[in-house]
Amino acid sequence: MQSWRRKSLWLALSASWLLVLLRVFPLLRMAVPARPWVGAPQGWPRWLDAELLQSFSQPGELPEDDPQPPQAPRGGSCDWGACFDVSKCRGGGLKVFVYPVAGPISDTHRGILASIESSRSRSVSPDEACLLLLLSLEAPTGECSPVPQQWNGGRNHLVLSLHSAFCPQTFHLGQAMVAKASPTVDTFRPGFDVALPLLPEAHPLRGGAPGRLGQHSPHPGVPLLALAEERGGWRTAVPDSSACPWDGRCEQDRGPEQTHPGATLPNATFCLIPGHRPDALHFLQALQAGCIPVLLSPRWELPFSEVIDWTKAAIVADERLPFQVLAALQEMPPTRVLALRQQTQFLWDAYFSSVEKVIHTTLEIIQDRIFGASAHPSLLWNSPPGALLALPTFSTSPLDFPFYHLQRGSRPVGRFSALIWVGAPGQPPLKLIQAVAGSQHCAQILVLWSSEKPPPPRWPKTTVPLTVLEGQRKVSDRFFPHRAISTDAVLSLDAQSSLTTSEVDFAFVVWQNFPERMVGFLTWSHFWDEARGGWGYTAEKANEFSVVLTSAALYHRYYHTLFTHSLPKALRALADEAPTCVDILMNFLVAAVTKLPPLKVPYGKQHLEARPPLAPGGPKSQLPAQDCINRMAVEFGYMPLVSSRLRLDPVLFKDPVSVLRKKYRSLEKP
Amino acid sequence: MCASVKYNIRGPALIPRMKTKHRIYYITLFSIVLLGLIATGMFQFWPHSIESSSDWNVEKRSVRDVPVVRLPADSPSPERGDLSCRMHTCFDVYRCGFNPKNKIKVYIYSLKKYVDDAGVPVSNTISREYNELLTAISDSDYYTDDITRACLFVPSIDVLNQNTLRIKETAQALAQLSRWDRGTNHLLFNMLPGGPPDYNTALDVPRDRALLAGGGFSTWTYRQGYDVSIPVYSPLSAEVDLPEKGPGPRRYFLLSSQMAIHPEYREDLEALQARHGESVLVLDKCTNLSEGVLWVRKRCCEHQVYDYPQVLQARWFWEAYFQSIKAIALATLQIINDRIYPYAALSYEEWNDPPTVKWSSVSNPLFLPLIPPQSQGFTAIVLTYDRVESLFRVITEVSKVPSLSKLLVVWNNQNKNPPEDSLWPKIRVPLKVVRTAENKLSNRFFPYDEIETEAVLAIDDDIIMLTSDELQFGYEVWREFPDRLVGYPGRLHLWDHEMNKWKYESEWTNEVSMVLTGAAFYHKYFNYLYTYKMPGDIKNWVDAHMNCEDIAMNFLVANVTGKAVIKVTPRKKFKCPECTAIDGLSLDQTHMVERSECINKFASVFGTMPLKVVEHRADPVLYKDDFPEKLKSFPNIGSL
Repeated sequence: MQSWRRKSLWLALSASWLLVLLRVFPLLRMAVPARPWVGAPQGWPRWLDAELLQSFSQPGELPEDDPQPPQAPRGGSCDWGACFDVSKCRGGGLKVFVYPVAGPISDTHRGILASIESSRSRSVSPDEACLLLLLSLEAPTGECSPVPQQWNGGRNHLVLSLHSAFCPQTFHLGQAMVAKASPTVDTFRPGFDVALPLLPEAHPLRGGAPGRLGQHSPHPGVPLLALAEERGGWRTAVPDSSACPWDGRCEQDRGPEQTHPGATLPNATFCLIPGHRPDALHFLQALQAGCIPVLLSPRWELPFSEVIDWTKAAIVADERLPFQVLAALQEMPPTRVLALRQQTQFLWDAYFSSVEKVIHTTLEIIQDRIFGASAHPSLLWNSPPGALLALPTFSTSPLDFPFYHLQRGSRPVGRFSALIWVGAPGQPPLKLIQAVAGSQHCAQILVLWSSEKPPPPRWPKTTVPLTVLEGQRKVSDRFFPHRAISTDAVLSLDAQSSLTTSEVDFAFVVWQNFPERMVGFLTWSHFWDEARGGWGYTAEKANEFSVVLTSAALYHRYYHTLFTHSLPKALRALADEAPTCVDILMNFLVAAVTKLPPLKVPYGKQHLEARPPLAPGGPKSQLPAQDCINRMAVEFGYMPLVSSRLRLDPVLFKDPVSVLRKKYRSLEKP
Repeated sequence: MCASVKYNIRGPALIPRMKTKHRIYYITLFSIVLLGLIATGMFQFWPHSIESSSDWNVEKRSVRDVPVVRLPADSPSPERGDLSCRMHTCFDVYRCGFNPKNKIKVYIYSLKKYVDDAGVPVSNTISREYNELLTAISDSDYYTDDITRACLFVPSIDVLNQNTLRIKETAQALAQLSRWDRGTNHLLFNMLPGGPPDYNTALDVPRDRALLAGGGFSTWTYRQGYDVSIPVYSPLSAEVDLPEKGPGPRRYFLLSSQMAIHPEYREDLEALQARHGESVLVLDKCTNLSEGVLWVRKRCCEHQVYDYPQVLQARWFWEAYFQSIKAIALATLQIINDRIYPYAALSYEEWNDPPTVKWSSVSNPLFLPLIPPQSQGFTAIVLTYDRVESLFRVITEVSKVPSLSKLLVVWNNQNKNPPEDSLWPKIRVPLKVVRTAENKLSNRFFPYDEIETEAVLAIDDDIIMLTSDELQFGYEVWREFPDRLVGYPGRLHLWDHEMNKWKYESEWTNEVSMVLTGAAFYHKYFNYLYTYKMPGDIKNWVDAHMNCEDIAMNFLVANVTGKAVIKVTPRKKFKCPECTAIDGLSLDQTHMVERSECINKFASVFGTMPLKVVEHRADPVLYKDDFPEKLKSFPNIGSL
């Protein structure tokens, strides 16, 4: 009956009580002196007189600049500023003197000498040298080289020892820099010594052992962890079991144990490597295999740690926290695993895969120290294609290169420069000039006059500036980094080339999306000729291609710098001997840098007849053209060319739709 | 009677027999109580400044009241300091073993005032900066008040300035700290390790194994990978207010603001200045400043006076790591944290890239130029509901593609069982059927364990018009562009200037910015991203609207790689809603409006328009070339 009333009264009463409690509680709290609650974090006190505290220093006390120039080293320790004299290092290239070694020369030694030869450094007499290089090699008789003549306390010397442990020192190293494999952290002088990788005996001298990473992400079936074994092998472990991860109780043996170091590469996502020095060999194996190295408190300095950001490719962990490390590996997000895996492979390929690369990297590090502010920025060392292929003499701004637009959040902008090479016949390519100048993307036309005949005094009027450059009648001259090239994109042309304006327009629009690649019209493809036991190439129409002809190709002007300043002289001389080789050489270079095939865009049929026959080997060439591809493959140490099976066409190319809808309709004219 | 109506709705059984008078009485009572409750609640939980929660926990005392500790003259002192210390030799990492989230825990000793036997203080109790520093640590995530769980210990003994302390006694004070243990895991902060004229390079107080965060280290006193080199904070920084600097080249190419430069350097600098004039600025001490000017911040060049922080450059670094004591303290702890948990360390870019670069740059997750081997093949994933006949035709067609390595059917119909095993077409590769728990479009992009290849072909159960040559060629194109979406029907987004928003376009255009995932190859990693890393509410939105999963995938891939899609082969009549004229114009239009809405919605969630427009598509090298068809690798392309 009246229960509803009672209920609601009761409700009202309890609500009032709640209200009273809530109201009174804060008052109580204010009345009681402030006492921290038990268990609540008790931070650093807020002092009542914090404002009155004195500063730790009075203004006059702050240190001013040290009035002394850098002092001579104390206690035999050296750093770059104190122990290296850069005054002799002015002028182009690193000036190196290599001490001759008495006695028989080993293969490795010869390889090192050849590597220094093929680097961008210049060899000079010891008096002029900026860097004096002393090779410390395994002396078969156990005797070590005596103190060299120009020693001078070791100043500006680099003592390089690739394989062997150091020779028992017959002389004090003094101010010499030491480049040796896996130096212990205790004696390593950062920024002065160079840490080298510990290379296996049979490391390839040049070209390099290819990385083994076949795919970006780990295959689902692949084990998580491989453990480095004492004798150089690997053992895969399944760490799901609750027992310890790596003291040998919980692993499963897969196949027979490997006793040959280097014979097998680990097949796992992570490779666990103990911190002792002999285990440094495992480190390179892991890199090559694309297995992320997990180093447990390494006592040795990681190779090239001065420039390589190892946090992007390896995990250095404390061996005293095994379970945390294991948990961290198991929980690592796929994004990080993916990035680490790829970075191991990039680093292997850029700096470690051959003796030559190791030597070049060492010299490049010293060159960077000399350059100071104009050295490679960190990005150039740590992202593809790597610092050996991104020359700081070209630019230190990543945006000037074709490789870093994405990382920097930019896009290649601007227009292209047409570079027309006029060879022997000396006919000014008037029709071609008009066609190219008609492109809305053309910034300028450069005519590289390489004919015996003098260039004509008059040139047709064009909407864009036209400049005639006097060439040196060498084929390699067409890839010289001419100062007049003012744009990122270069359209390389021959006087005999024939292109239409819309072909050029479309090619340029494609190039803007792939600034690191070559975009061309006519293609060749290479193949392995079983019968001749060598490489061959064909200009015949095929379902794939790997070379675009530079008589009509678009690419980044940086490749001119690379062609002229980074290719070995022998290769450029080879190209000058046989003009057809120059196409292949340029394609080798770009493919070696990008590891990708060039791009092909449509080319009108009518031009094909206009082109001189593609007979390999011009009249001047002394050398069968098939030979140049093989000689280059030997010089490079491998075959860099990559084949492609696609052509990039305009979106509506030859589609059954009104021609009026099509932007590049003239590409379709029969 | 408005109120009574309201109550009628709420409590019909309660009210009917009540008299109006009582009713009003009770309603009023209830309202008052309710209002009171609400008001109290608001007062309780409203963030207000009268008493902040941190004050509640923190003692309020004066520095003068801290306890005094008398150090006997013969109390032990630490060893001088071990120059060979490294993290793996001198640091006890076991103390950091139970720190969650890979973050070290830092304990701060409470403040004491140390005096010697004669009662003379050992040093100033604490400086303003050291108090700020400890406050910053205490306010950070690193702080713990539980000494047993701490990994790093920070003494409250202020050694910022060596000139203000007595070396031997300070060392004794350190040695009697409760967890000192030869200084293991103790961190000291020092900025002035001595004063003029004999500047020192490291704190002289014997400290054994303690880590030193010091200003002015030389390469000989710095223990690589163990100590932390920190900047010397200037109390004047607090007053610096930097002007916003616009873009464009800076005024000075070279700037020297240090006083008392070595004469040889100075000569060189002046020679440079003489040659380059305006672009070089060499500042020095001012000689003729009037009284009352804060001279430490002034530098002069001839007769011109500069407020020198105003001309300094490299603003981002300064703000991030140098500007305040707090910035210096937290950067130091982060560096030590990175050493203890290297697998969770900040990357070089995270430390060094200014925010503008961080926002605009793209780090492609598949950055390694790598052409996956053809032998790996691809996994075809067919999303189906109940169109069994059409599904079987698709399976039969796709199974003819040489590089197919597995076929996965995602059965999205919970009301109906998939056909019996015997009814499925017999094909040469494994065929698996996955049943889903809910009919959601995002099931198509789930990273199924069954996917063993990197390449995935997403295909609708009604795409029967693609030839085996076309599919095989698509896979070959994907191998050359494994970080992109490689698909068949292409679409475009356009800016509608009239409506001021994005518009979806499916006409025959010269450009492409999306491919439909009704038939597209992509890397399986993007399935992981779609399922677990899709920004905002896009994934749920797509499932709720049963539309636009393909546009979402296009946005995702373009955003993370910064690259455009690749459309393969010429246009065909696809059986898709917007290209069939039979469905009628009105349906077509609604569809277009919905798709446009999706683009606008996604662009707002992503905060940008990631799609990239291109004018090319990929065809086989010899497509439509004058060449015998039977010699072409992919002759059957584009035929309807």
